Amino acid sequence: MESVLGNWPSYDPHNFSQLRPSDPSSSSKMTPATYHPTHSKTLPPPDQVISTEAKNILLRHIYQHAEEKLKPKRAASENLLPEHGCKQPRVSS
Amino acid sequence: MSIWNYVVTAHKPTNVTHSCVGNFTSPQDLNLIIAKCTRIEIHLLSPQGLQPMLDVPIYGRIATLELFRPHGEAQDYLFIATERYKFCVLQWDSETGELVTRAMGDVSDRIGRPTDNGQIGIIDPDCRLIGLHLYDGLFKVIPFDNKGQLKEAFNIRLEELQVLDIKFLYGCSKPTIVVLYQDNKDARHVKTYEVALKDKDFVEGPWSQNNLDNGADLLIPVPPPLCGVLIIGEETIVYCSANAFKAIPIRPSITKAYGRVDPDGSRYLLGDHTGMISLLVITHEKEKVTGLKIEPLGETSIASTISYLDNAFVYIGSSYGDSQLIKLNLQPDAKGSYVEVLERYVNLGPIVDFCVVDLERQGQGQVVTCSGAYKDGSLRVVRNGIGINEQASVELQGIKGMWSLRSSTDDPFDTFLVVSFISETRILAMNLEDELEETEIEGFCSQVQTLFCHDAVHNQLVQVTSSSVRLVSSTTRELRNEWHAPSGYSVNVATANATQVLLATGGGHLVYLEIGDGILQEVKHAQLEYEISCLDINPIGENPNHSHLAAVGMWTDISVRVFSLPDLNLITKEQLGGEIIPRSVLLCAFEGISYLLCALGDGHLLNFMLNTSTGELTDRKKVSLGTQPITLRTFSSKNATHVFAASDRPTVIYSSNKKLLYSNVNLKEVSHMCPFNSAAFPDSLAIAKEGELTIGTIDDIQKLHIRSIPLGEHARRICHQEQSRTFAICSLKYNPTSGEDSEMHFVRLLDDQTFEFISTYSLDTYEYGCFIISCSFSDDNNVYYCVGTAYVLPEENEPTKGRILVFTVEDGKLQLIAEKETKGAVYCLNAFNGKLLAAINQKIQLYKWVLRDDGTHELQSECGHHGHILALYVQTRGDFIVVGDLMKSISLLIYKHEEGAIEERARDYNANWMSAVEILDDDIYLGAENSFNLFTVRKNSEGATDEERGRLEVVGEYHLGEFINRFRHGSLVMRLPDSDVGQIPTVIFGTINGVIGVIASLPHDQYVFLEKLQSNLRKVIKGAMDVSVEELCKRVEELTRLH
Repeated sequence: MESVLGNWPSYDPHNFSQLRPSDPSSSSKMTPATYHPTHSKTLPPPDQVISTEAKNILLRHIYQHAEEKLKPKRAASENLLPEHGCKQPRVSS
Repeated sequence: MSIWNYVVTAHKPTNVTHSCVGNFTSPQDLNLIIAKCTRIEIHLLSPQGLQPMLDVPIYGRIATLELFRPHGEAQDYLFIATERYKFCVLQWDSETGELVTRAMGDVSDRIGRPTDNGQIGIIDPDCRLIGLHLYDGLFKVIPFDNKGQLKEAFNIRLEELQVLDIKFLYGCSKPTIVVLYQDNKDARHVKTYEVALKDKDFVEGPWSQNNLDNGADLLIPVPPPLCGVLIIGEETIVYCSANAFKAIPIRPSITKAYGRVDPDGSRYLLGDHTGMISLLVITHEKEKVTGLKIEPLGETSIASTISYLDNAFVYIGSSYGDSQLIKLNLQPDAKGSYVEVLERYVNLGPIVDFCVVDLERQGQGQVVTCSGAYKDGSLRVVRNGIGINEQASVELQGIKGMWSLRSSTDDPFDTFLVVSFISETRILAMNLEDELEETEIEGFCSQVQTLFCHDAVHNQLVQVTSSSVRLVSSTTRELRNEWHAPSGYSVNVATANATQVLLATGGGHLVYLEIGDGILQEVKHAQLEYEISCLDINPIGENPNHSHLAAVGMWTDISVRVFSLPDLNLITKEQLGGEIIPRSVLLCAFEGISYLLCALGDGHLLNFMLNTSTGELTDRKKVSLGTQPITLRTFSSKNATHVFAASDRPTVIYSSNKKLLYSNVNLKEVSHMCPFNSAAFPDSLAIAKEGELTIGTIDDIQKLHIRSIPLGEHARRICHQEQSRTFAICSLKYNPTSGEDSEMHFVRLLDDQTFEFISTYSLDTYEYGCFIISCSFSDDNNVYYCVGTAYVLPEENEPTKGRILVFTVEDGKLQLIAEKETKGAVYCLNAFNGKLLAAINQKIQLYKWVLRDDGTHELQSECGHHGHILALYVQTRGDFIVVGDLMKSISLLIYKHEEGAIEERARDYNANWMSAVEILDDDIYLGAENSFNLFTVRKNSEGATDEERGRLEVVGEYHLGEFINRFRHGSLVMRLPDSDVGQIPTVIFGTINGVIGVIASLPHDQYVFLEKLQSNLRKVIKGAMDVSVEELCKRVEELTRLH
């Protein structure tokens, strides 16, 4: 058991070294000050106001598909040329 | 009450839902960040423990919270997304100590079914994208560019519809998610996908795993070098990666939270639904996983989040009980637990029910909540008041008086604490080690009781005993002069300031002395007609060392008199009335106004305004502070004068806006108090209570104090019965070890002082206690507890059977007097016109209390009203009945006596799913619904047509962001006849997140003023996530339209 329990990670050995445990039956008073920002940096730079792309996911899919369909066609026609070139002699023959 | 209502939080949310640890406030700082519903808290880890830094309110309910480190940054950024689909990325600017919003946005979609299993927000470990799962079948991606800036978000279709968890895998060249999902045959599987950012689509991932544990619910991604994912089920834990699969069986449990311990991901803390913390270890040889091991460590609050902090300290955030700071020990304690709880952070949530009681009968409400759930269930007594933080205490019996003294006139600090007993006087002093030890002042007489002590001018001290007044040097501590009481007379009461002594001996003799350098001079003597009970010469004029007025309280004629000094001429005589003698008088000044306070032997306090030049007493007021004699003392805190009234209900009297205010102190009985401002304990008070002497500092004035009464079971309903001085609760106890039918339901009776269970009634198997009230019936003087129950059978969708049980309290025991079977769940009970009004499933049913021939009583059905989906919440006023329905908002019914019938009068036609209702006045009703909104409706009695009169008009809407379980009329502050506050009607509410709030019905002008203040504040103070108010309002509208 000790083998798995020991050797706890330590980032700063001082952390918690002077902890004075309060009576565990009474709750600790841990109330941080409330933040009231009055500065202007509560707004991000304009290009960091993010929204979701307006294009419908289905439309995007269709367009993407259409592009994909177009691409191999063009590629095929380019590839086909030499093939035709190959075949042409046969036709010619 | 009016339609102008002001909503305010008295106690902020305390329910912890998320937490994370990282370097947020600086590259060197290690921070714990906690989410509490609508707020985040930032803490710093320090040698002293967790140091609170900031509490940041967020416009929205936090759904996800993650820290991440963008490329090239030295410290972490915080990602927060809210339930209403807003998100922001916050960064800490350590130079200004401000939170800076790096990015924000709206990630909602117009179409989409919100996920059933909660929102998921995750960040790729290599910071390439943020992933969100908000709607079924969609995975939203917010990509980062290579500079760490966020780009436009897009959706990817996710085939799996019932997603349980999604996490990013570590160590993948392309961002890869692992999805835990359930198929339409209820089998659970995991699947991986690579996110192709360019194509905005998924690509099949490197591996998948089918047919996991049916209870698998949680994924834990394992960081490099091991990588892969842990799948946590209810009976097994599985480690899975592209090339390894390891599984271990576990004790059946539902894992609610996990926390990674080691950066290399070899150990994890798991917290289950019973509050058990276990350590999960991945055993590995080099980078190859060889197996899993799990070791139970011990019990904590039921965790909703676990964060490993540092050096074996762990934060346990809880929604069901107090959050905790624990330490993992190497050796088990006596109970075999490796867990040591070091701190508890109070959590009132979920507040399921509460009641407002005035246990001390002093006009101040205390809220007693049913808080927490399962084993962490408790009652919490919440009251407004002043807290004493105990610094030191020592056992000392029989203290009769206490005074602090300085060692020289111009010493800023007190050195001595004179403690007087019935036949001796002891002197305590701070030694060099800042410890209080006994010492001696040679010139003092220590063999007798001291009646009064004070610092005097010229480095002198004054001690008054029954036989003499002693003037002692504070430097040599030797006696310099002594005034002896005439023979045959003894001093009964005495008072002094730095230059004057006033004392009274038997026979009504009043003697006035003045203090010189080494001399006590009897200046004046007066003979009064009766014995003197108390006196005071506290200087309230220009000269802080000298008073020209003396206040004297009298036996026999029960009066208080004001004399001039030094000539002891009677200026004013005020009859107090009644037969109770004044026990303590005090001259004091608050905010430039002089007062005479006079405390009586029965715990009442009279206060007068005092005209210091004429001695005239005006503006007499009387309040009750307790039941025992009161002793008054002034003290100062934060440069303001306060008065401490020591009694069985200690109270601090202070002034605000030139009005006297009274605030409870969180102590039981205090017999004496004196300020003790020593160098070691500055601004402290010495307090004598229950056989002990305590040194403590005083809190800020007015704060909520919470006392916890752990029950070990889940209290769901509470009510108080004044006559029997008891509380009754409906509670349930889970017994996870005993298998299926492990829930037991009880009606329990508790003493309202000790909160101990004094009697228990066990309900039947499957029978739930739904509601409890204390009430009485017409033609019967007894007071009863009525309990409504439901038989919740596993095979039924809605209960078809329930009971109404009527109990009396006899000799501290619950006695079942009558029971009535019902055709459904009794969701609500109300005392109504000397009868009992019950809400049973769809129906409102009225029962009368009938005397049978054999002298026993029974409940007999009189009439009812159908037409609700489920009538869950009912309030009554006169003959009117306001019903809150499961989904049909609020309706108004009326009981017609002559016809013996209940009819509907009006309803709100909106489809609100109600969570609580309350009646504000004859015409205005308040409702809370499950989209976290509050609204008010108005009865339209003047409507021209039946249709108009039959419609409840919505007059107020407010988005609170909190789920309200209960409203109750009442107030947390002391209601005094002389304060304006007492005139404002208020309703208190309690929420799931542990918020206690107040709704105050204001006059229109005050409402307008506060609204203007609010809008002006908004111009100055900006939200951390800057959502404009217009947008918020729009959102509320949207909410009310949506459901």
